[in-house]
This record gives sequence, C-alpha cells and structure tokens, in this order.
Amino acid sequence: MGFLDNSGDIILDVVLTDHGRMLLAKGDGTFQITKFALGDEEIDYSLYDKNHSSGSAYYDLQILQTPILEAFTNNASSMKTRLQTYTNLELLFLPVLRLNDSMQINETVTNGPFIVAADAAAEDGNGGSSDQGVAVTEDGKIRQGFMLGESLGGTIIKVDQGLDTTEVSPKRRLDDDLKETSYILQIDNRLGKIVDTQGTLAAFDYIDDDNIAYYTLDLGDTFVSENTNDTKDPKEVIDGPRGTRTEFRIQSSMDLNTSSFLFEQLGGTTTLANAEAGGAGTSSVLFIDTNVRLTGVKTGVMIDVPVRFVRLA
Amino acid sequence: MTFKPLNENDIVNTRTLLHEAIPLTGSIISGSYVTNAAPDNIKYYPHGMFQTVYDYPYASSSANHVFDVTCGFSSQSALVAGPNGMETKKNNIYGQMAQLLVGYNATGSVQLFDEDGNLFDPVGDKMKEIFVVPFSRLLVKDEIKKETFQMILDVDTHATTQPFTNTLTISDLGASNEYRVNSPVGEYGILYAEDNSSILDLVNHGNADRIKTVDSVDYLRCGLIFYQAGIAVLTGSVFGNLLTTPLAGATSEIFYNDGSNDLGIDDVFASSSIDDCGSSLLHRVQNIQFNNTTELNSTVYFCRVNHNEFNYSSNPTYLENSRVRVKTQSTDEPVSYITTIGLYNDRNELLATAKLSEALKKSPSTEFTIRARLDY
Repeated sequence: MGFLDNSGDIILDVVLTDHGRMLLAKGDGTFQITKFALGDEEIDYSLYDKNHSSGSAYYDLQILQTPILEAFTNNASSMKTRLQTYTNLELLFLPVLRLNDSMQINETVTNGPFIVAADAAAEDGNGGSSDQGVAVTEDGKIRQGFMLGESLGGTIIKVDQGLDTTEVSPKRRLDDDLKETSYILQIDNRLGKIVDTQGTLAAFDYIDDDNIAYYTLDLGDTFVSENTNDTKDPKEVIDGPRGTRTEFRIQSSMDLNTSSFLFEQLGGTTTLANAEAGGAGTSSVLFIDTNVRLTGVKTGVMIDVPVRFVRLA
Repeated sequence: MTFKPLNENDIVNTRTLLHEAIPLTGSIISGSYVTNAAPDNIKYYPHGMFQTVYDYPYASSSANHVFDVTCGFSSQSALVAGPNGMETKKNNIYGQMAQLLVGYNATGSVQLFDEDGNLFDPVGDKMKEIFVVPFSRLLVKDEIKKETFQMILDVDTHATTQPFTNTLTISDLGASNEYRVNSPVGEYGILYAEDNSSILDLVNHGNADRIKTVDSVDYLRCGLIFYQAGIAVLTGSVFGNLLTTPLAGATSEIFYNDGSNDLGIDDVFASSSIDDCGSSLLHRVQNIQFNNTTELNSTVYFCRVNHNEFNYSSNPTYLENSRVRVKTQSTDEPVSYITTIGLYNDRNELLATAKLSEALKKSPSTEFTIRARLDY
C-alpha cells in the first residue's frame, strides 16, 4: 500500500515589494495584508494544445515546463495578470479592454501613440504667437492623436470593455460578473495627471515608491460609463456584448510644463510637423515615451496605452 | 473576482529560532595575513582603546568585522600601571564594561565583575583585571546560543617552538541549564577553563573554591559570557594562576614579549599598552566557536484556493478573440496556472509577493492551501 500524497500544502517564502517596505517603514498602519491574489504572468496560454494527438495529458505539457522567475520586488512589475474567480464554470468568452479609436477625437497618431503637448508653446505656439506649436495645424485645428497637456483639450483616450467576438451578438447583455465597474489607472506621476473629458482633475489613491500614481475610476463617476449601444456600429470596437467605457485626458505635470529636465533625463529628441503656413514646417521637440495602464478591478483585464509627452526643444 | 480576503483564521504568527555555527580558527585571528610582521587583518586605532579583528585584511571591502579585543583593570585592583600602562584608559575600559554589563548597586556605584555572578558576595571572586572580547553583531546576530561557546587558548610560555602544545578550553559549561539574569544586558553564563594537557593542577594552584567538577574533570571559573550582548569577559587571573609555576620545559612564566621585555600576565596588564594586551591574547587563541541565534518572527498567510475559485485568468494570452483558449466548448473545465502569490492591503497595494517553483495547474477539480510565510 502506497503513501498518500501530502503535497497539497505548499509553503512559500514571501518577499516584500519595495512599496511594501516603504509602507512598513512609514508605520502608519497601511501595511496590513488583508487579501491575496494569484498571478500567472509567465504563462503563455497559446501553448495550450487542445488538439494534441497524444491526449489530454499532453495539452499543457509545454506550459508546465515554463521556467518561473524569482519574485520581482518592484510592485508595479509583479502580478500584472491575475487569476479570476467566476462562479459560472461554463464561460467560454471573457471580456477584454480595447482602445476605441473609431472616432477622430479618439484616434492615436497614425501608427503611433497619443501625444501630449506639455506646455502652451508645444500646443499652439503660446496661443498662436508662434507657428512652432506641434499640436495644431496651420488653421488652428488640433492634430490627430494630440492632447493639450496645459489647456486640456484635444484627443480623448477611450477604452471599451466587453466581449470582442463576432460569435456573440452585442444584443446579449454582458453578465454582471463580467461587467467591469471599477478600474485602476496607473500613470507616472512625474509626467502627467488624469483629467476627465471636462478637464476635472482626478484624485489619486496613492503614489508608490517609483512615482507611479494609482487612480481608482468607478462606474458612475465622470470617467466610467455604461456602454448601452447594442447595435453593430462602426463607432464600436467591441463586436460582442459591451460593458463599460472609460474616457480621460492627460494633463502634463508641472515638471514637464515648466522644465525640460525630465525630457533630457528620460527621453530623446525628434521632429514633428508644426503650424507653419504651407504645412511643411517641422519643429524639433523633446519627448518622453510612457504607458498608461488601465486594469479592471473585478475582471483583472488590462491594457497599456502608449503616450508620448513632447515639448519644444 | 481577482482578490480573495484573508480572514483571521488565515493568518498566524510564529516565532522560530535559527542557529548558525560560527567557527573562528586561530589562524584567521593571527598569522594568516601578515606584512612585515604586522597583521593586516587587525586594525589598531590612534586612541589605543581597543583593536578590531577582521577575517581578511581590513583595507579590503571583502573583510568582515569579527570581534574586538580590549582589556582593563579596576581602580580597586592591586595592579599599579607602569609608565606605558595607560592606567586611566584601562580603568575607563573596565568602568565602561562594568557599568554596561554588571550595572550599579543600590547606592549607584558601578559594580565589579563577579566570577559566579553573585554580586552580593563581597570578597574573593571579583574579576578586577579583565580581557573583553565583544563579538561582531554580524556573527552574534540576536544572541549567542547558550552552552555553545568555546575558546581554546595556548597556555605555554611565550614563543615556544611548538605552540598549542598545552591548551586550555574555555566554555560556558552547562549554561543551558545554569545561567544568570541579573545583568542589565540580559542573560549571561559563567565561563569555565578546562586543562586539556593535564599538566596544570588547577586545584592545587589555590583555585579550589573556584572549581566545578563534572564527571571527575575539574573546571576553573574564569569569566563570563553575555549572550544577548555578545561579549566575553575573561579574567586575567586565569593565566596568572596557571602560569605562576613554570610549565614543564619552560624556564619562566613568560606570557608575552612586547619586543624587548618578557612579561608575565600581571606585567602585561600593568605595563603594556591596551593594544599589546590584546595582541598577547590573540597570539594565544587556537580556536573560538559558538552558535548564534536569530529570532525569526514570521506571519503565515494561508491562501486557500477552493475548487471553484481562480479557475480563469486575465492573462491576455488566455483569450483569442475573447474566447477562452483552454476550452473547446463551454462545458469544458476551465484551467489556469498559478505562478505567483500577491499579498495586498485594503487599497489594493501590492505589499509582498511569492513565487512557485513551477506552474501549478488549477481547475475546478483541484484545490490548494498555499502557506505564504513572511519573515521579519
């Protein structure tokens, strides 16, 4: 008679993240572990071979051979993708986040990121006193993909949530379990802040040790709304049932607005078309590339939105 | 749902004592790193109050602080310092150490070191001339484990051709069951010297009242070991008593030669500098060893993953056009793979993480309890 398998209890050594250490050092009671989540960021599920000729035992052979890295202590680098609990075990489709650039006001620069003009000079040459501004055309229109980081106009970043599949009609309601009602937005606080479409600044929850600001955006506030359009519509990027929509702009930080220090430290230089008559003129600009990350609290879905901050060189 | 709350039954605090064996061979302490007859791993200071022993030439960043050595005698000692005897500094060292390790009496006076820890015994066993060996916190960690301390010292006359022929083993014999708690710096044990060579008649050298006999072996009280402070205090008289009569084959009771003079132990205390006193001891160390103790406080978080939880993933590769890759039809079991545990606070801030050594398959037909241990 063999021994019973007693391997069900797994013991792991935990390491504090840098942010955890910071909170521990603060001693203000915020270091209190109250919940856990499970991550699987090393796993590439495309390796799951449902059609393996040797049978189901071989479906996940390659996944189980995935080497696992030691823990990162940077809180922003860990637990990027998390396992989810849904009571319904028969779900075949799960929601995703998609950048909705179907309308001109939501488009990125062609094949590029969203661009935030960090100050008035980069926006429109200080109100048109110069034609070196890069966010507007010669006739004063805001260019595709540009946000005005000082005057808070221009492109709106729009992210839609839902089942992006043609196999399920958008007429079907998204289960409440799958409808995201709250999002965490992360942005480098040295570079920018989040504002709604009316230009109202959002309040961040906290800023971690790496200067990443975390904002919570909830359904019903000025950032998140329900997407009630249930028709096939070229303005929609989610083909199936739709959940919620998040819209925001980015305000450039005071540092970027007033100084080129961070541009020189973190970025580079390039040229962008400016507002010179004839449309052929260019301005040399300093830039910093970053990502704004939006993560669903309930469903764990995540999207990284590429953003470039620019300032005249 | 991404997060699962931990309730009070999922969190437990534990305390574990970890021990490491610390062996310090005499060759590290003296003899291995020498340039022009001067040790490279022993640092002397202009103030001359103590010297520091490293495990490697101290100018190197690879060197670790091992211990310090100093000595002193009480102003109540019968010794009178000679011209180079640094009497004030030695008195100060004794006073400092006594103040720190033994404390004050009811009238506020600093008490003397006592061989058996009975501070109310007015006569006989006060240690008025002492060597002090404070060990580095790097080695001691939280404390020295009781009944593990051992120091082997050469008791031959100075500069014999074959050192360590006759040795003395100093240990905290029986200290795990017999130690003292009347020190301001915590627990301490009594150090006993055992004559390894059987040529030193401990009892007949006037030591009868300082002898403890275990299994017919005589042990002589010779100092104190302060466990939490990580400091050993040796009475100078341990050498004095043993070396009063010349050893077999020796012509005199030479404890140390300072370069020009043969000195007995009392002479060393009276007329040598503190650095020379320390060197006289270091030359006689054959071995030091002890076990340290690290008090590890842990919080264990029992992350209970039930059969109906965490079966799906938000990993972008989990979906293809929003369709779950690991399923062919909706009635197939969902499958996910765990590689990381994240521990969060109420504000969803990631405070700690732990990794599995390999991906762990999770499906509705499996469940786990993962014990995540956070050590402080």
